[in-house]
Amino acid sequence: MRDTRICMRSFEIRTDEMGGSLEGIEIPRRMEVIREYRQGGGSVAAVFPIHYPRPLLRAFGFLPVEVWGPPRAGGNWGEAHVQPYVCSIVRNALSFLGSGGLDAVDLLLVPHACDSLQGLGSILLDFVSPRQPTLTLYLPRGGRESDVAFLADELRAIYRRLEVIAGRSPSEKELMACIRRDEEADRLLSELHRQRLRLPLNDASFYRLARSREYLPAEKFCHIAQEALALADGDGRPGAPIILSGIVPEPMRLFEAIEQMGGFTAADDLACCGRRLYPAGSSQDPFRRMAQRIVHAPPDPTRGSPIGERVEHLLSLARATQARGVIFYEVKFCEPELFDLPLLRQALRQAGIPSLTLEVDIGDELSQAALTLLAAFFEMIG
Amino acid sequence: MSAAGWLWYQCNVNLLGRGALRARRLLAERRAKSGSDWQSQCLAPPLNISPWTKELIARHYLEGRYAHLRRKVAWVTSGAPIEFLKALDYYVLYPENHGALCGTMRVVEDLAAEAEGAGYSRDLCSYARTDIGAALSGKTPVGKLPRPDLLLACTNICQTVLFWYRVLARHFGAPLVLIDTPFVYTRVEPHSVQFVKRQIEEAIEIAEKVAGRSLRAARLEQVAYLSRQAAQLWLTIIERCQHRPAPISVFDQFIQMAPVVEMRGEAYTVDFYAAMLREVDERIARGVGVVKNERKRLLWDNLPIWYRLRYLAEYLGRHGIAIVASTYTHAWGELADLIDTQDPLEGMARTYIYPILNRGAGDKLAKMKSMIEKYHLDGVILHSDRSCKPYSMGQIDQRDRLLRECKIPALLLEADHNDPRAFAEGQVASRLDAFIEMLEG
Repeated sequence: MRDTRICMRSFEIRTDEMGGSLEGIEIPRRMEVIREYRQGGGSVAAVFPIHYPRPLLRAFGFLPVEVWGPPRAGGNWGEAHVQPYVCSIVRNALSFLGSGGLDAVDLLLVPHACDSLQGLGSILLDFVSPRQPTLTLYLPRGGRESDVAFLADELRAIYRRLEVIAGRSPSEKELMACIRRDEEADRLLSELHRQRLRLPLNDASFYRLARSREYLPAEKFCHIAQEALALADGDGRPGAPIILSGIVPEPMRLFEAIEQMGGFTAADDLACCGRRLYPAGSSQDPFRRMAQRIVHAPPDPTRGSPIGERVEHLLSLARATQARGVIFYEVKFCEPELFDLPLLRQALRQAGIPSLTLEVDIGDELSQAALTLLAAFFEMIG
Repeated sequence: MSAAGWLWYQCNVNLLGRGALRARRLLAERRAKSGSDWQSQCLAPPLNISPWTKELIARHYLEGRYAHLRRKVAWVTSGAPIEFLKALDYYVLYPENHGALCGTMRVVEDLAAEAEGAGYSRDLCSYARTDIGAALSGKTPVGKLPRPDLLLACTNICQTVLFWYRVLARHFGAPLVLIDTPFVYTRVEPHSVQFVKRQIEEAIEIAEKVAGRSLRAARLEQVAYLSRQAAQLWLTIIERCQHRPAPISVFDQFIQMAPVVEMRGEAYTVDFYAAMLREVDERIARGVGVVKNERKRLLWDNLPIWYRLRYLAEYLGRHGIAIVASTYTHAWGELADLIDTQDPLEGMARTYIYPILNRGAGDKLAKMKSMIEKYHLDGVILHSDRSCKPYSMGQIDQRDRLLRECKIPALLLEADHNDPRAFAEGQVASRLDAFIEMLEG
């Protein structure tokens, strides 16, 4: 096995240490990508979870780099602004910002995914006042035509703000080109998810690859994804297939634990991954097209998807992958997730699919209690 | 409705029920006049109008119990635009108000345990757990809640209501209508108002279909007019607390706000608040203060702690402290002028996108600062409510700014609006004592 390095965030993880490899494919480090993009004359936008229009930012020369916490945010700056009952993604985001983690970016975008991210946007705008311009984006909570129309208007409003910030006005043609490139990246991301069991990757490696979409330019991601897809010649993986649901698989040691216990992730319903496999839009109006893509994405409670749609989605994932169980891996205090859990688990139980809930703080290591629960779960599903 | 149903409704609600409730009110009024029930040394007795409030609330739930004999039932969030439902003759139930009622009656632990037993996390909003617990178990201190024919969730108070109502929709198999109100970080955008208006129009279509009747414009205007009148009266009443000594406290306001929340658009609600205003003015004329020896005046931010209203009123009252203003009670009056009776749909869109909970944390700070001036306040208690993140997030910065920019003491008090298990009495008392020392200093 070659010593391939897969680099994420501002630290390195040796894939061979994680028990997997991504043969010959180098995924650049987040900081390297940012540096290189800036050297090429581009700017960088830090984007908080979950849904947002990547191509709109790219059309203005901003590379979107996502901030899911991060888990190892330094300092306790977040605690100086939000109460302990606010989720660790928001708390860590504030700490990361306060400790200079976002000094290298030129713009902040806070999509409205939940009450906590709403609060984050409001605190940034009204009290913290970062040196970078801060934009907010309201995401409608339905799948109606009026939701698409509103979101298109909201994206037009952001376009006008970006015109002032960037001092340029990308044409409709330029915007459409960015959208099409982004759609191609998402098509390949979906393909990676579909082919995941044929790839020579363990879970940790797969998610490092898939999550590089969080910071790589679409064209670079396409290149890497195509390289990875060319390696797809396996015929499945040994062990008990499971579906992972939740917001974000942090700490990523989770995957190591799942593998050690004889399981693997056959599909996911994660906010950072599977719920963002955006379909291509159909409208020739760029704003409507971007809106369609987000509104018609897979079910997600933060976009207001009905529980029934989520049940159907989970069951279809389970059928397609023959998953033996579902792990709900939740960030503590995440209301959008916690509300749906009892009914989702009940529906899975009725379909004969066992499930497990683990609640974590993304800043903590996996607790012994969580590992014990995981072990018991995998013993049960064999 | 069948003739038998009509008869059964009239008998239970209008003949027996109303009669019994009126008799109970008259007895309570007589007892209140004699003053024999009132023990507190530091607080004025409750308003004479209090038995009327109780009668209104009891009658509201009594009508709910038999509502299906006469009309359709809608469950709605507290900030939802209900005028069109009232105009379509729906019986409108507010699960949050029912939750608050359960809080004051101290039955939340039992109901929340039902929800928690079914898998709902204790980290979820305690109103939601109370309501889901009541729905799952059928338990309620009001006898019986009618099943909804329609659910209406408006996100202008939080996103929580959407998740909560999706659970209710699944449980009851009732259609859920969403009115999604984009959060106002800095200013209201025209496309946001249009989005809300479009959704109200869509909601009306669904509500008409469920009700089996069409909305009449004249009736909608009338309901909007009554809503506006009640909200204006409510604002006038709470603004009377600028007077020193304050005639009522926020603890009175928390109780007396029930009709303006759950009985908007009704003539009897307007009559009720007109009577309340007269009584408040009488108190002012007679120099009656809600705290007998009012020395300090405070602002309350966030929802009440429903199960400890009396405790807090007395604890502070003993020190001559009156909490005279609240961002929460103010919210039900401040938008009165936005209610447009001539163009009710546009008016509803503009009104319902703009409550305090749908505006930025900086806007709330500005509101607090203006209330501090207007009500001549000496300090602020910010209830850090673990069940209400949208109200609570930003409070740490708000407190710091109040201390720094207004130079007045501000206390962040950790609790939960409905779940008594999150209330540490010893800790609260220590924090209040330290705060009172700061106020005295």
